[in-house]
Amino acid sequence: MNVKFIILAIILAMAFLTGCTAKEKKIPLEDVGMVGVMAIDYIDENSLKLTVAIPQYSPEAKEHTQIFSVTTELVSQGIVDIEALSDKKVVLNQLRVVLLNEEFVRHGKARGIIKHLFRNAEVGNKVLIAVVKESGEEILKEEYPDKPNINFYLNDLLQPSINTAFNPNTNIHDFIYTQTNPVLDSIVPLLEKKEGKIEINGIALFKGDKMLRSLSKDDALIIQALQGRKKLAPLYINLNDNNKEEKMMLDLINSKVRMKGNKSMDSPKLTVSLKIEGTLVEYKGEREGHLSTHEEILKLEEDINKEIEKDISKFLETLKELKVDPIGLTEKFRMHYHGDWDKTMTRETISKLQWDIHVETSIVSTGTLR
Amino acid sequence: MNKKGRHVVLVKNLKFVRSSIGVKYQKKAQSEVGNSTKAEQFINDLKKHTSKMNDVIFKKIPTSESVVTVIYSSSLVDKITMQLMIFIPLANHLNQIHQVAEVIKTTDVNGISSKLISGQTLLYFHQSNLLLSIDTYSAPTRSITNTETESTVIGPQDAFTESLETNISLVKRRIQNPMLKNEERTIGKETNTKISILYIDNIVNHENLERLRSRIDHIDYPAYFDISVLKQLIEDNPLSPFPQYYMTVRPDTVSYYLLDGRMVVFMDNSQDALVCPTSFLEMFISIEDYYNRWTTASLLRMLRFFGFFLTIMITPMYISALTFHPEILPYELLLNLQESRSKVPFPPLFEVLFIELIIEVLREAGSRMPAKVGQTIGIVGGIVIGTAAVEAGLISNILVVLVATSALLSFLPPIFLMSNTSRFVRYIFILSAGLFGLFGQMLAFAWLITHLLRLNSLGTPFMTPVIPRKASDLMDSIVRFPIANLKEKMGISRSQKK
Amino acid sequence: MSTNKRKLLNRYHVVFLVQSTMFGTGVLSLPQRLSSLGYSQALFPLLFGVIASLSIWPMIWINSKYKNENLFRINEILLGKWIGKSINLFIVLQFTLFLAAIISSYMNLIQTTALPEQTLTIPVLFFLLLLTYIVNGGIKSVARFCIMAFFITIPMLYFLRWAIEKGEMSHLFPLFNYNGHEFFEALRKGYLSILGYEVIMFYFPYIVNQKKAYKHALVGIWISIFLCFITTLVSVIYYSEWQLENIEFTVLHLFKAGEFSFIERIDIIGITLWIFLILSTSAGYLWSAKKGLDSLRSKKKKYHVYLITIVIFAVVVMPIPLESQKKLFEGSYYVGYLLLVWPIFLSVVHILRKKQVQQ
Repeated sequence: MNVKFIILAIILAMAFLTGCTAKEKKIPLEDVGMVGVMAIDYIDENSLKLTVAIPQYSPEAKEHTQIFSVTTELVSQGIVDIEALSDKKVVLNQLRVVLLNEEFVRHGKARGIIKHLFRNAEVGNKVLIAVVKESGEEILKEEYPDKPNINFYLNDLLQPSINTAFNPNTNIHDFIYTQTNPVLDSIVPLLEKKEGKIEINGIALFKGDKMLRSLSKDDALIIQALQGRKKLAPLYINLNDNNKEEKMMLDLINSKVRMKGNKSMDSPKLTVSLKIEGTLVEYKGEREGHLSTHEEILKLEEDINKEIEKDISKFLETLKELKVDPIGLTEKFRMHYHGDWDKTMTRETISKLQWDIHVETSIVSTGTLR
Repeated sequence: MNKKGRHVVLVKNLKFVRSSIGVKYQKKAQSEVGNSTKAEQFINDLKKHTSKMNDVIFKKIPTSESVVTVIYSSSLVDKITMQLMIFIPLANHLNQIHQVAEVIKTTDVNGISSKLISGQTLLYFHQSNLLLSIDTYSAPTRSITNTETESTVIGPQDAFTESLETNISLVKRRIQNPMLKNEERTIGKETNTKISILYIDNIVNHENLERLRSRIDHIDYPAYFDISVLKQLIEDNPLSPFPQYYMTVRPDTVSYYLLDGRMVVFMDNSQDALVCPTSFLEMFISIEDYYNRWTTASLLRMLRFFGFFLTIMITPMYISALTFHPEILPYELLLNLQESRSKVPFPPLFEVLFIELIIEVLREAGSRMPAKVGQTIGIVGGIVIGTAAVEAGLISNILVVLVATSALLSFLPPIFLMSNTSRFVRYIFILSAGLFGLFGQMLAFAWLITHLLRLNSLGTPFMTPVIPRKASDLMDSIVRFPIANLKEKMGISRSQKK
Repeated sequence: MSTNKRKLLNRYHVVFLVQSTMFGTGVLSLPQRLSSLGYSQALFPLLFGVIASLSIWPMIWINSKYKNENLFRINEILLGKWIGKSINLFIVLQFTLFLAAIISSYMNLIQTTALPEQTLTIPVLFFLLLLTYIVNGGIKSVARFCIMAFFITIPMLYFLRWAIEKGEMSHLFPLFNYNGHEFFEALRKGYLSILGYEVIMFYFPYIVNQKKAYKHALVGIWISIFLCFITTLVSVIYYSEWQLENIEFTVLHLFKAGEFSFIERIDIIGITLWIFLILSTSAGYLWSAKKGLDSLRSKKKKYHVYLITIVIFAVVVMPIPLESQKKLFEGSYYVGYLLLVWPIFLSVVHILRKKQVQQ
């Protein structure tokens, strides 16, 4: 019994001894500046420009976000420099968005920086990444009069939403995953500043760790559809054959994709079958009055099928030329290959790839009128 | 009441009066006088023995048989009972008294005084030096009222009172079974309190019964005011903050447990009944669960059970999230918190301790205050202090919501002792969260689990649902299945009947 | 409560005791250890399960020949007093070091993720105090704690759902894409994660139903293996090969993929809940080490536990250079393998002896 009391007394005494251990003074919540958005710009081969946006909660401050900018060589060094400028301790716990300058990624520096963030235990894995056309610093410092706080704005902009279905919503984990996976190449959304608003203007396609070029929204949508995304953005289709121009819009699209490879490494052939179900919401063209019967709709669907197949084919040709694989088509061949697979084999496979695309559109309804 | 009525002894035998005339009769008179002096001697002894007890009354009454001195303690015997049981039969049918009464030895002074102070009436027949005693205990008791501490919405509303006999009668009228036994003991050297152990003979496990009996017989404590004193002496782990026996004031709960094979201990002058053995889950079960339908009952039980764990986790979570792990909270909430905390000068640990202590003070003062003043102070304390403190910037308003919720949740367990325990355990969690954040909280949680696992209740493990002794136990644990399926006895009682 | 001759552990106790001593700190980095296999590591835990089931059989066999003795006593009986005692000392030391390795790696993990600004001494002290509290209750209290730990931490499986959503099942193919060299490397490194079931040799005398002990132990083993299998499966689906190789604590990164609407970083809750698993593993080892010390000195004293705890504390906290600490721990891991084959050796000795006696 006595021993128990002694131990209890020791435990209670320990509680006070924790003050004796040499640890950093705990900074309470209100003195912590939590970085919401970080932007990295390219200056030259060795140094980069780091800009951070820290929201201000105090209702007395005039600005609701503090923006700091330093030039540095390492990201961590930059954080330390920023702390000298700010009155709070800067932490990356609530980091949400990382913006990378286009020049920066064209020089192939993205991987190092993102890897550093990945390694950092403070930063979560769901931090979104985007490439910006101009300088990230400018985007952060600009005033957006009818938009909320820049932190919320960028975060909400890059979140998955049905109308920006082409957006791959790359986060840190996805980026590292696609960078280190020999089968894939990374894609990152591309932002551009336009008259007081920020717009997602396509995606940036990487080859290895350098950005190769940017792709349009339609191409990006194809990537998403082939990767298996179920709900797609409204699709604008332009049928243009035999001098008949028809424009239409399919909405509320559900898509299902199946890809099968022919397990051959020498002449790889991929069978892609894509099923799209949608509602026809707007049509402008010749057949406008004649779309009430079932046969007419079928014909229209066939035409749409051909058009989409053409688009996808064209896109895959481009990929074949550039020898990049953002979709992961070569995964179907890796599955049946025994041995180590690396990037060169991906490039080879893509350059030899043949394909066979079947698209099946089905127009579910035409709105509330016939 | 304090009249020392001294009746003049009417000499029945006129011979004594004439003794002054004839010596012949003097001897007989002397023997009578001798007899009466012996009686007088006895009465005087007794009076000396009870000298300072003002309420012990000696009444000398002539009867057809002999002079009888009636000795009783007027604070324990009520006048109507005296008339009915003693004086009227004394006057009319003396054999009734002889049939009913018990004979006591006149030399047993201790026995005599103990009988007197337990409410019995002594009848001393002067002629035959015969001492009889009749049980006339009829001290005023409280009538059976509603329970205030363990009320339910539906179901019987009567509660135990402080009289042992009333309590036993409340139980016996619910279980009219010849197998329901009760054993009586007297414990406590200085108070001589009566206790009763009830059990149903063909259901209870006799090993448990033996254990309980031997524990009660082995304790040596002078004074008992309430059954909780006894409880703390026969517990397996008196150092633990958790109660290990179930205490209740409701007769329906007691009858439920008796039928399940447990033992119940009653104490005179004590409103609660002690049920043993019991398990941790039963601390969250209220008898009303059996009156409600099974869906409601299951929902409420889950609420109580998880409420216990919530109440010890909420405020420590606040501390650890704010001090150590701000990344846990979503962004908007965090900005909100930062704003409300920017006005507070203390670290979160002190803030929480401060407001927890205020709530404790409110609670304690509220239960000690006289009812008339209580209402106002309650409102002042609760509303005014809370609002004013937030405005003055001493605490943040989110914290007030959290603390109030956890205070409410801590009152969920139907046993008051358990709510007190959860208050105590919460402080341990708060301190450990303040020290090491979420890691400290989990350490404290692991400690809590280990501690609960090591507790025993009358030899049986306290956390029995860890490994259910019988599969049917699970049907009546956190989720309660319909009554038709609940026919079996719980495993913890190890009863003879299944 | 820990009297030598009473049978305390029924079958649920056995199942969960075996299960929790296996499933502890090793699982956190299991995918990383198996990463030499790349994507084909998904089915590997099943192989481990088969090996474990086979290797536990000699342990139970030799224990059932000496129904009331634990391994320490069996050592003394079969090999003579002095050799037996020295082997026992060796085992006790190995367990102590093993414990120190487990605790130190977990504490380092906590320090890097949950408590970045704290020195480790006081948390380690509290952890060890709690550990001695559990072990002081005897093997039954350890077993019940293991059961509770299992049920409390099982809901963490739900946290894997986001990783499954984002992952690609096609990673699993091709199925057996490795060569012999990679196979053995993974086997060597990965098997350490599921060591722990050999502790059954020390609490065997307390088992009520000794005949069915093998079946129950198998149930425990396969529960753990199943959990390991789910872990490797989900990691393979979610990560690329490079990530598997380079991320130290793969399971925690899996948790990082998740979020609720009111809690952002679930991995912190995952790490701190993991303490239950660590405690259950360490309690099993500490109890065995205590029994070893008891049998070495042939008497039971209360302070044996505290002695071992102080040694562990010293090893964890002392400023030994990191390299030598790592080497020490690695060494103790490999000695653990020795304990696996030891029962086979003992069984051989036992059979020889029996033959001798018969002759």
